[in-house]
Amino acid sequence: MPDLAVALRNVVKRYEAHVAVRDLSLEVPRGSVYGLLGPNGAGKTTTIRMILDIMAPDTGTITLFGRPNRDPGLLDRVGYLPEERGLYKKMQVRRVLRFLAELKGMRASDADARANEWLERLGLTTPEKDWGAAKVDELSRGMQQKVQFIATLIHDPELVILDEPFSGLDPINAQALKDTVVELKRRGRTVIFSTHVMENAEKMCDAVCIIARGEKVLDGAVSAVRASHGPRNVALSLIGAGDSSGDGTEELNGVGSVLRDRQLVQRFDDNNRFFEIELAPRADSQELLRRLIEAGARIERFELVQPSLHQIFIERVGAQGVERGMSGHG
Amino acid sequence: MDKFMVIAKREYMERVRSRWFLVMTLLVPVLISALFLIPVYVSARAVGSSSARNIIILDATTVGLGARVAANLKPDASRARAAAAQPGPQVRVVTPADLPAAEAEATREVMRPKSVIGYLVLDDTTLAGTRARYAGRNASAIAEQERTRAAVRQAVMMVRLEREGVKPQTIEQVSQLPMRMPAVRIDERGRGGSGQAGFFLGIGIGVLLLMSILFHGQTVMRGVLEEKTSRVAEVVISSVKPEMLLAGKVAGNGAVGLTQQLLWIGMSTWLITNFAPILLRPGGALDADAAASITSSGLSFGGLTPALFAVVILYFLFGFVFYASLLAAAGAMVNSEQDAQQAAMPVMVLIMGTWLFVNSVLLNPNGRIATVLSWLPFSSPIVMPMRMGLSSISWASVAGSLAVCALGCVLAVWLAARIYRVGMLMYGKKPSMRELARWIRYA
Repeated sequence: MPDLAVALRNVVKRYEAHVAVRDLSLEVPRGSVYGLLGPNGAGKTTTIRMILDIMAPDTGTITLFGRPNRDPGLLDRVGYLPEERGLYKKMQVRRVLRFLAELKGMRASDADARANEWLERLGLTTPEKDWGAAKVDELSRGMQQKVQFIATLIHDPELVILDEPFSGLDPINAQALKDTVVELKRRGRTVIFSTHVMENAEKMCDAVCIIARGEKVLDGAVSAVRASHGPRNVALSLIGAGDSSGDGTEELNGVGSVLRDRQLVQRFDDNNRFFEIELAPRADSQELLRRLIEAGARIERFELVQPSLHQIFIERVGAQGVERGMSGHG
Repeated sequence: MDKFMVIAKREYMERVRSRWFLVMTLLVPVLISALFLIPVYVSARAVGSSSARNIIILDATTVGLGARVAANLKPDASRARAAAAQPGPQVRVVTPADLPAAEAEATREVMRPKSVIGYLVLDDTTLAGTRARYAGRNASAIAEQERTRAAVRQAVMMVRLEREGVKPQTIEQVSQLPMRMPAVRIDERGRGGSGQAGFFLGIGIGVLLLMSILFHGQTVMRGVLEEKTSRVAEVVISSVKPEMLLAGKVAGNGAVGLTQQLLWIGMSTWLITNFAPILLRPGGALDADAAASITSSGLSFGGLTPALFAVVILYFLFGFVFYASLLAAAGAMVNSEQDAQQAAMPVMVLIMGTWLFVNSVLLNPNGRIATVLSWLPFSSPIVMPMRMGLSSISWASVAGSLAVCALGCVLAVWLAARIYRVGMLMYGKKPSMRELARWIRYA
């Protein structure tokens, strides 16, 4: 039994009209960065809220650090950044931070010291201006986001849960967040974040769980997930491709028909600079290469690769799951 | 428990620090004091003004009765500072034969604006103790007529005593006896405040309770709405249960209300006790009885016995918990201020409905309406303390009403907690009654 930060067993949550989460089981190893992936409305936020005991599952169990998540004091060890962010607008920044830290069981004096550290570190306290003494609504949006990060991390939680942390972030804050996640992992903390942007997950996560329509599609270590889906993929780029506008496959005469041969190619994704190709079940990559050359393709790159999470996501969840989820609530 | 205190402390500190709290806390005692002191001041001015003295006395008695009446109408020497500048009554000694002409002349003078206000006729029938006549523009001012009548009566008495051989010195002394008679209410429990003071106390308590419950209750509602719309609620309830957030909020704001009430009562009492004598001094002409009764009504907070005070505070807390938790639920159901006003309507109907009956409670504190209202949990926090100020209520009734009220609070808090718990995470349209019922069942 590995050391788990979070474990869900057969969790079900129904709303009046639909089932938000059905029979979800997942395990988050301690010290890992874990991605909860899925289209909008897949049940990510509901899952996170149940982990945090904001709402109770209808059936199933949830444990944090091996104990039921309802145990008193357990949530003090968790930091949470909700998708919809907000703070007390009329309150002074330092007082907000102290309040939220005290709610996590910190002493006020410790909280103040930590808040000052963080404010300085994120550039909110400079020799010219101390934003910590300002009211929240006097801060710019970017600065408010920083304050919200601080609020999430001020009590040095063992488990950090970030719901869609990258949505609405400017590039500088997004980079700061990535750096923070990396640092948290280095210090042995567990980070769970939900996203529907696969690139972020691919770069940062040790393990992922993809859910759609409230159900787990797959989960596991990112490397394992990708390995189990490949290497049936080929990254192909052609000399001169992407320079012209329009559908490249049409212009590349013979190449297009090769790629549309369902005997060889299950599907392909035109990434403009290169094609991500998934081979048909019994097709041989060398056969594809030969056919491409015969068709007159001038090849710059032909590489057997593991599929990207994005590819796996599209393959496993499909366009239908994405669309269905668009109108629901997460 | 610690986290409950953290939440309550935040609510308390943020409210108390706000500019509104400062303004309200300072302004209301000034208004309350003004409410009590202005009538005191006005009546002091009125009684002390020249109206009762600025008259012509037509004296047809030949024994100098007019001069004595004029002397009696003059203020005490101790209060005469301001009055000294004003003219006293003009005494005109006339023969009985000239009286009709003198009266006609006096009538013309009274009719001229800004001159004397009336004239008094003293003749032999007056001296016999039967009657005096008065005519003037203030003929309907009963208090002034009464003062004049008393002055005449005393003058006649002094003249008659002199005739009987009593020493003038003795008469002078006797006439100066300062006889005061403050009225004290006696009821089954013993002595209470003055009757008038009880009225002021009753209405004062009622208004104060209603205002604070309403004001601080709505502050709770706005606070809940702010937490919900700013989405900070989700962060908070990832640390504590929503019920605790609600409880801490209600407690913190209740403590603010309590602080404010104590400050209001303390400051008002201080202002009234310190300013009433200052205001009364220049008025001067108040006779002892009038001064005493006006002062006692002005100082009606003095009728706030410790026991009554404790009960008022208890009712405030119960009333506040009842209304604030229901208003918090209303705030949790919706996403905007306008919707919140609408959602709060049923709650507001309860408290404003109570207000509509305040008048009948004042008129008949032991009537059926008042009795029924002092047992219903939504109206008893306002009506019962009013009744206690107005008349005497047995402690058993008070205890019973408090118990019913506490039960009402438990019910309101239970209901509110369930709506609140679901509502805080629900964004979107306002729930219908059916959805609301489902929330309550489901939570």
